[in-house]
Amino acid sequence: MQYLVLIALLLLSGCSERLVRVMPYEKEYFAQDKMRLSPVDARAEQEGHIFLIREASAGGDSSFQGGCGCR
Amino acid sequence: MQVIKSFFVGILLLTPFLKTYASSLKDSASVGINTYSDSSDVTVYSPTFSLMKTLSKNLLVGFSMRIDAITAASITNGGSPVIADTVVGASAKEGFDEMRYAPTFLMAYEDGENAVSGGFYLSTENDYDGKAIFLNYVRQLNEENTAVGIGISQSDDTWSPVTHRVLVPNNSRKEGKIDISVNQLISPTASIQFVYSKLWSEGFLSSTYHYVLQDGFAKFEKYPSTRSGDAFAVKGVNLLSDENSINYAYRYYTDDWDISSHTLNVEWMHEFNSKLTSGIRVRYYTQSKANFSKELGTYSATDPYFAIDYRTSAFDSYDLGIPFIYKPSPTSQYKFTASVDLYQTSNNANIKSWHGDSNIQAIYTTLKVDYEF
Repeated sequence: MQYLVLIALLLLSGCSERLVRVMPYEKEYFAQDKMRLSPVDARAEQEGHIFLIREASAGGDSSFQGGCGCR
Repeated sequence: MQVIKSFFVGILLLTPFLKTYASSLKDSASVGINTYSDSSDVTVYSPTFSLMKTLSKNLLVGFSMRIDAITAASITNGGSPVIADTVVGASAKEGFDEMRYAPTFLMAYEDGENAVSGGFYLSTENDYDGKAIFLNYVRQLNEENTAVGIGISQSDDTWSPVTHRVLVPNNSRKEGKIDISVNQLISPTASIQFVYSKLWSEGFLSSTYHYVLQDGFAKFEKYPSTRSGDAFAVKGVNLLSDENSINYAYRYYTDDWDISSHTLNVEWMHEFNSKLTSGIRVRYYTQSKANFSKELGTYSATDPYFAIDYRTSAFDSYDLGIPFIYKPSPTSQYKFTASVDLYQTSNNANIKSWHGDSNIQAIYTTLKVDYEF
């Protein structure tokens, strides 16, 4: 946890010019659906709930998950 | 003996939902329907609807609604429920056993460098009422090569068992989560994301219906009333060629019930032409058992905790799916997405005891149309 906070502070401090790796005119591919971490939103919603109630783990998805009585 | 069916319902996972407008606020609407069906005779149809409306260049309000219509037949280890419920379902009946309604209201602000979103969520079903608030902040850095985000959510839910049993310590379940994420572009064809999540729960954390039946005694499930977990995830996407990409994700989860898990997801996407993109994905999940979960038949009446739900035992699961993305033209205001996935758990004694089958096999689908005004 503390390492993540440290990394975040480093990024926020502005000492990260090396992290400017892609110029705006080079971002064409990132606009494509196939370059998304989760290409289909509806599936991400559906499976997020299914995995949450079929398995005992959660998190790691930087998202909000509403509760229900199925768990 | 009639059976009890642990199961299911709908959703509201807001990450993709929020991404829709986080980068550029737009008026939009969507309709869709999701389905779920498994080998334990649970079937769910979930129509969805959302509407996003910009109030200004930087401000947006949104509303979404999901309805879960659920049927759940009887299973082999239950009692004789007289009231239908997702969990205590009755077989051979007409119509749906249970309906769940889950509206979400949200507001978002975005100015190019900062994106803030928040809102509240409600969920109402036969034996459970949920409500939650959430707030997310994302800061773009390094000429939008880096994005740092933090999100927090807190729920306060209430059980109302159809059996009218009194729950100990109480009939509430509170859950919270903090997510910290960092996204980084690595090259014009690759990016990576790191996520850390802290999760906590308290209240009545087991099912209100599952029970251990053994040697002349029956005990409702009883879990510890608190739980704290941590999840670490790394995700990435790489362009393989102009038409092909691959995205991958790994998550490690651990908690103070001694449940730990590994999740691996890999998906290949192929752009068939300017309109159609499809692919295939595989997912593997494995978890260890909770420290209070014992082998079937080894409980004693004086044990402090009782667990029979397979989710407190060790098992694996597998998922194989195919996604579809269709745009009538590059400038079309419409976007159609669909997916079909097969899901299966490994063989498990707890599943066999409760559901009758050695494992759970499921198929779930999604179909959605998005429209930008």
